[in-house]
Parts: sequence; structure tokens; C-alpha cells
Amino acid sequence: MSSTATTTSTTAPARSRPAPAAGRNRPGAARARHRRLVATLFLGPAVVYLLLFYGYPVVQNVVMGFQHYTISTFFTGEAPWVGLDNYREVLGSPLFRTALLNTFLFTVGSIVGQFALGLGIALFFRRRFPLSGLLRSLILLPWLIPLIAASAVWKWLLDTESGAINRVLVGTGLVDTGVPWLSSTSLALGTVIAVNVWIGIPFNAVILHGGLQGIPDELYEAGALDGATRGRAFRHITWPMLRPVVTVVLVLGVVYTLKVLDIILGLTGGGPANATQTLATQSYQLSFTTFDFGQGAAVSNILIVISLVFAAVYLRLNRRAVDE
Amino acid sequence: MGGASRDPAWYDRPVSRRAVTTAGLLAPLAALLAGCGSSASAGPRTLRVLDTYTNEPDRSFIGKRLEEAARRAGVSLERVSVSGDSLIQRVLQQGSSGTLPDILMLDNPNLQQIAATTALRPFDELGIPTEGYADGVLAAGTHGGRVYGLAPNVNTIALFYDVRALDEAGVEPPTTWDELRAAAGELTQGSRYGLAFCGNATYEGTWQYLPFFWSNGADEREITSPEAAAALGLLADVVGAGHASSSVLNWSQADVKDQFVAGRAAMMVNGPWQIPELETIEGLEYGVVPLPVRDPRTQEPVAPLGGEVWTVPATGDRAKERLAAAVLTDFLSDDSQLTLGEQRFTVPGKPALAGEYLRRRPEMETFVDLIENARARTGLLGDEWPTTATALYTGLQLALSGQASPAEALQEAGEYV
Amino acid sequence: MNTVRRPWLHTAAGIVVIAVLLFPIYWMVNASLQPNGATVDTTWLPLHPDLTGYRTALAEQGGNLVTSLVVALGSVALSLLIAVPAAYALAQFRLRWAGWVLFGILISQMIPGIVIANALYGAYADLGLLNSIPGLILADSTAGIPFAILICRAFMQSLPPAVVEAALVDGAGPVRAFVSVVLPISRNALITAGLFTFLFTWSDFLFALTLTTTEDVRPVTLGIYNYLGAYVNDWSAVMATAVLASVPAIVLLVVAQKYVAAGATGGAVK
Repeated sequence: MSSTATTTSTTAPARSRPAPAAGRNRPGAARARHRRLVATLFLGPAVVYLLLFYGYPVVQNVVMGFQHYTISTFFTGEAPWVGLDNYREVLGSPLFRTALLNTFLFTVGSIVGQFALGLGIALFFRRRFPLSGLLRSLILLPWLIPLIAASAVWKWLLDTESGAINRVLVGTGLVDTGVPWLSSTSLALGTVIAVNVWIGIPFNAVILHGGLQGIPDELYEAGALDGATRGRAFRHITWPMLRPVVTVVLVLGVVYTLKVLDIILGLTGGGPANATQTLATQSYQLSFTTFDFGQGAAVSNILIVISLVFAAVYLRLNRRAVDE
Repeated sequence: MGGASRDPAWYDRPVSRRAVTTAGLLAPLAALLAGCGSSASAGPRTLRVLDTYTNEPDRSFIGKRLEEAARRAGVSLERVSVSGDSLIQRVLQQGSSGTLPDILMLDNPNLQQIAATTALRPFDELGIPTEGYADGVLAAGTHGGRVYGLAPNVNTIALFYDVRALDEAGVEPPTTWDELRAAAGELTQGSRYGLAFCGNATYEGTWQYLPFFWSNGADEREITSPEAAAALGLLADVVGAGHASSSVLNWSQADVKDQFVAGRAAMMVNGPWQIPELETIEGLEYGVVPLPVRDPRTQEPVAPLGGEVWTVPATGDRAKERLAAAVLTDFLSDDSQLTLGEQRFTVPGKPALAGEYLRRRPEMETFVDLIENARARTGLLGDEWPTTATALYTGLQLALSGQASPAEALQEAGEYV
Repeated sequence: MNTVRRPWLHTAAGIVVIAVLLFPIYWMVNASLQPNGATVDTTWLPLHPDLTGYRTALAEQGGNLVTSLVVALGSVALSLLIAVPAAYALAQFRLRWAGWVLFGILISQMIPGIVIANALYGAYADLGLLNSIPGLILADSTAGIPFAILICRAFMQSLPPAVVEAALVDGAGPVRAFVSVVLPISRNALITAGLFTFLFTWSDFLFALTLTTTEDVRPVTLGIYNYLGAYVNDWSAVMATAVLASVPAIVLLVVAQKYVAAGATGGAVK
């Protein structure tokens, strides 16, 4: 798989084609060695780091999925091989279906919300106006708060009787009694998605903003000369130039959202009645509440496989962009 | 298009010597940094302790008592406290890397599982006295007939009530389930609910369900029994009638206390660890009674046993294990139990000390009575308890959220066991 | 970037948007000033501010804040050092196996943190890296490096080759050209990647918890747990710590955002 990077399609004024560098086509082992040396210099440290810090955990997790791994294993080292038993039990449990559905809803809801709002904010802050710099830097504040504090604050805000949100809603007469945001099985998942969107907006907004900054003004000027209005400018200039950044943000967003654990545990613990139980929380609970690490690893491996599908999609999209 | 303009040029150019030397220097630097870690070994007369008393004032109370015990045994201590949620994780990590501490505190329902892994040294081998403890304490600390851990102090839960609220409504503290239903109803006024308890999706929810479960005669080996369903029905009825907030599905015991203190609940199910804070609230007069039973003629309140046990991991260092045993013997002594009990509002693990204890802390009378017959959660199921505990709070959540009738909820939850 | 018509309208709208977005942050500050950490029926404004939480936090968490800062900055330095050249190589070199590296990086992002933390514990215990700042820096970079590679690569994909060619024509080697030409142009990407690496590390709790066994090295995310006991929670201290922990990070953020200049590539092409 080669990932030749090229400039994305552009309607910019003609770029000068640089003259071919001298000696480009000289064959020889020296050439190949130079190539490898430079590539090693640039990529080597990263590859080594990734293999060291990710390689072993991944392998261990995959193997654990096939073992009967319990608390005793930590002390005695014995983990009998059980083949696909863990997977069979996990997939056959009714909780898995619920968790899978919740994971899907949670991910789609979070990504759509985060991306749309993040893009909106990024577009809004693209132009300069008084205080725009300060306000832009404030966007990242939600990320500075330790998750334990953030989830506690949200729990208070969302409390059915005394939470600030319900106090406003009841006070203004929009509802009669407090809405059970976190304690109703029908509302809890939506509420958790909303909180996750809140957490994800800074990520999307800042990266998309950076991407927008990378689009040269000349393109818009040229487009304006051709009569491109705001909407058409967005479709024909902004969106295509933003594509690589958008794809990265979306794919990373999905991969990160699939892993989300702390905020769900902090807000609802997977409840009420498993209404907010996702594959990630289920894996955690299997491992650390009922101490069946083999099953926990099985669920997290399933989660990784789902992420792999998205990674494959990203790479396909990436290659298609390259070919354009 | 393609690479015509860029790539080959790069590879053709010789890499500058400066670049190579810089890279070469960084590698050993990285290796050097790798060596800059602190070692974890302690001296021969220093014992490592692991517990979960991360915040004050417990941290200091336990700390001082441990220091005293250590001094008497002629050792010094290196103590680490981690949050309750992460204790087991830490124990597992240390277990697999062979770095368990010399003295380990565990929450009592976890003891059986850890003991089953042979990671702990039995008390009879260490010579730590085990007589005189309440049945529940021994049941929690015994695995395979041998005692692996004991708790100097224990606690349980009971019904706290707002004296003034009950007086105003002309309601007596309830002693039966029916009275509880009625009282909760009458006390629900305005923004105040009659009852608050913890029914969240953690072992805290299970913990608060157990007194009703057990006092009605249900058995944790068979959670789909009618007795269990009836107990669950009581709680579901109170929530369903609007006499307890639906937020009980999310509250921890600490949140429940906050509600009670803020006047949003007239009664709450909670434990004596809340008493120090309740005492500081001006204008709050509270009373404590045992949790109601369905039929007081044939049933007695059954309290679940709470509290932390102290153990000696089998580190293999016999000398240190003996020193640890000496420290623990002092830490578990009668004097220690009384001191800690008085400071921390927890009941001594030996019922014989009850008289002296009540002299010092008369307000703990209800709890002292309950502890005598308190039941350990792992008493019958041993290391199989976590699965049942999870099923119980699952059923609790299903019923309280109205998703299923109590009987159905327990049926469904029972499938997870 | 040109300024807008009716700028003050935009400012007002911007303030509203940010205010709504940051309301929970305000609530956190509010809670930190409430007496006894009153969490039920908290008043809208802290009319009787109680600074006990801050006193506790300042007295006990000062050192932890410094630790967090050192670890976070170290992690940014390490991550950028390793990730940016790699990102450039993946974006601009034509390498047959680059796709696999990319795939591997993506996979690495899918691994639950707890799996990595547990595996690292064993390795760190053997290597003596527990309770060390370099150890934490290395571990926290697991979040920063893959992410920085992906983000920087996305930005660098649209680098105009003409700029780099100019440097090469002038006789610079690949490394020189990289340092003096590519890096300045990619400033936006670097700062964005650096920012997020900083934030990932600053808010990391898992590695802080797993890879420290004593109180010697204790990032502030872990220090907060001193106030959350099994039975009693001191919320005003928790919130005060969280607020104090945000301050240095906010300062860094504001400073960094100033450097995200507009049209970084636009000017260079000309």
C-alpha cells in the first residue's frame, strides 16, 4: 500500500512545475541506501516507539481473549486455554446485543454532534473580530478539566430535582417537573451522548479551525471573482481543501468515541438498567467488577475489530483522494 | 502528477553528518533516562502498607494507629493509599509482578477472592489471635476454614430520619415495611421526598438492597425467590409512588447524604460514617433506627457487614511477615478497636467491647446492636459473590426504573449469574 | 484574514456561544467556592464565597501541579520530536510500506488505555521506571505520538512541493530542508499537535494511577483523589484543585493560540 501524498485537487492559479532534479533517474544501490537511510532517520524512532508501547499490549490482549484469565492468574500465572469459549459466552449474552446497539448509537450521535458543532464553531471563528483570539483559546477549556470533576459537575447539573438545567426548565415553565435526564432508561443514553458531544467539540473545532487556516485566501478571492457566494464557496473551495483534515478528524473521532469509558462510568455507571452500557463499559466491568479478564479482553478485541473497519474505510478514502 | 517533482530529490541528497550525529546522541540519552527510576525496595525493618484511606480524617486516624503499632513492633512503615476503585487493580498488578505490600487492606467482600489465589498468609500460621470477633467478621475473613483477614472496626447501614420533619408530619419512625411505605408517603411534601437511598449500578446499590433482601428471608444463592422479589417490590413501590426520587438509580451513598442534609429527603438509608458531617450541620436533628422488616413478629433486621479487613500477603519474606503479624496484632487489639471506633464512628469488631464502646459513643447504639448479627456478603458464596452482586444491582435497576416487575427483573438478572 | 462587517455582532454571538459551552466550567468554579461543597441546591452565584477548598488545594497540590506541568511539557517535546519527522515522511516520501505504518498507527489508537497501562506496569516494574518522571513522559506520549503523526500528516499532505524544492535547489540536505523550510510552514500543525498532546497528558489519569506506587511523583489528576474517599467527598477541594489545575494550562493555551497564524502556507507560495 503506497500512500503517495499529493496536493489535493485545487483550482488554484497554475503552480509552476519545478524542473526535474538532476540525477533523478540514476540507478544504483547507493540511491536505494540513501533512500532507506533518510526514511529510517525520519520514521525510525516513531516505529520503534509504537512497537514497544503498543505491540506487546495488543498481542497480550488478543491472547487473553482465548484464555480463562481470572484474579488467580495474576498470582499463579495459570491461564488455561479455552479457545473461543470467551467469545461464545460474550456474544451469546443478551447484554452484548444491548451494548452493541448502544455503542452504535453513542458513536453516531457523538460524532455527528461533535463534528457539526465543531465545524460550525470553526467556521464562525475563521474571520477575525474583536476578542476572537481570546474566545478561540477558551474553546479548549472543557479539555482541561479532569474527567472526574467534569462528570461530577454534569451529574449535578443534570440532577432531576436540584440540577441547574432542570431548575431553569421548570422555572421558565417549559416542563412541569424535572426531567430525569440520567435516571430514565429512555433519556439516559441521549444525555450521555450530549455530554460526550460537549467534550468532543473542542477537539473538532480546534483541528478544523487549523485546517481552515491552511486554505489560502487567494482561492476565495479567485472564487469571489467568479461569483462564488458563501454557500458555493464552501462547497467548492472549503470542503475539498479541508478533506484530508476532515477525514482524519472523523476517523480519529470514531476510534476515540468507541473507547470512551470514564465519562459514562462517571455519569451513570452503565445504568440505569444497562441503558448506557456500551462495549467499552462492558469490557471494563467484565474485567474489573466480575474479574473475568478473558471475557473482558474478548469484548475489547471485538471493539478493536470494529475500529479496524473504520480504519480500513479511512485508508480507502485516503487512497481515493490520492488518486484524484 | 505523482512523485515527479519531489521524492527522488530527497533520497539523492546526502544526509548531513550533523543529522546523523544528533540522532546517534539521542539514543544513549534515551537509554540513560530509562535508568532514572526510583527503586521500590525498602529496608529490612521497613514494611510496606497499602490501604484506601485517601482522605482526611480517616487517613490520619488510621495512619497514627499504624505508626504506633509499628513503633511497638520496632519497625517503620511506608504507607500508600489509593482510591477504593483502584485498589483491586493495584493488588493484581502487584500480585503479578511479585511486589505485594507487607500489610494489605481489603474491602471485606474482596477477601475471599484474594485468599483463593493463595496470595495471603493465614492468620494461624502468623499467630495473630482470632477469638472474640463477631460472626459476620469471621465469616468475611475466613476462606477454606482458615482466617486470612480481620477487621478492627466494622459498620452497616440503618435508617436515618429528620426528627423535626417527622414530628411535623406526626409520623413515628417506621419499623415495618408498611409503616415505611406510609411514612414515606406522608413525608413527601413540596420539594422533599420521604425516602432517599442508593440504588445505583454499582455494588453500593446491592449493598443497600441487602438488608431488605435478607431480613425477608431471601438467600443470595437463589435470587429469584419470592422473598427477594417482595423486598425489591418494597423499594420499587416507594419509587414508583413518587415518594423517593427516580434519581436513586444514580445516587451514591454520599449523594444520598447530600440530599438528606439539604432537606430534600426526610429519611435516608446510610451508614455511621456520615455522622461526623451530620453533626456539623446546624439545625439538623437526626435519629437512627434499624431498617424496617416486613413482619417484626417473625423477622429481625439483618445488617450487611461493611468495613475493611487487614491481611498479610504471602510475600515469601518470612521475617517481614512475622513483623507484619506483630504490627497487625497490635492494630487489631481491643484498645485499638475502641480508639479507632471512637474516632471514626465505626463499631469494634468484637461484640465484647460493645459496652465500653457505647460508653464513649452512645449515639452509635443502633449500629452496635445491628453488628452483632451482621452478615458477611461473602459468607455463603465466597469468591463467587461478585457475579451475584452484579446480578442483584442489575435486577434492582430494572425494577426501580419500571422496566420490569420485581419478579421479572430478578428473573432476568438471574440469567447473568 | 480579513475582518468581518459588523464585528461587534460577531463578538457578541461569540461570547454567547462560548458562554453556553463553558457553563459547566463556571459551575465548577461556583462549586469550588461553596461552603461545605454544597452540591444540592447550589446557588447560581457564590454569594458567600468560601475559600477553604482553595486553601486546601494550594497547600497540598502545589507540588503535584509542577509534576503535571513537567510531565506534560516533556511529553509534548518527546512526541513532537518523534512524530513530526515521521508525519512528514509519511506525507511526502513515497514509501511502499508507509500504508502499513499508517494502519499500525490507527490500530494503536484503538487499544483501550487500560490494556496498555497494565502491560506497561509489568515492564516498568522490571525496568525500575515506576514513580519516575521520564517513565510518565514516555507512557503519556502513547497518546500524543500517534495522534501527532496523523494530524501533522494530514496538514503536510497539502504542502506545496515548490517550497521544498526551492530549498533543495539551494543545496540543503533533507534534514536541513526539513528543519528550516518544512517546520516553519507547518507551524499550525505543530502547534495543534503539541496542544493536544499537552492536553492528553495533562488530563491523563490512567497512567498516573498505574505507573506510580508512592507519593514521590504524583500528577495533579491523581492528587485530586485525596479528596474523594470511600465515604466522604470533599467536593470544594476537588473543584478548587481542578480550577487551579486549569490555570497554567489556560495560560499556555492562550499563548499557543496566538501563534496559530492565518494563511501560513498562502504567504510562502508567493
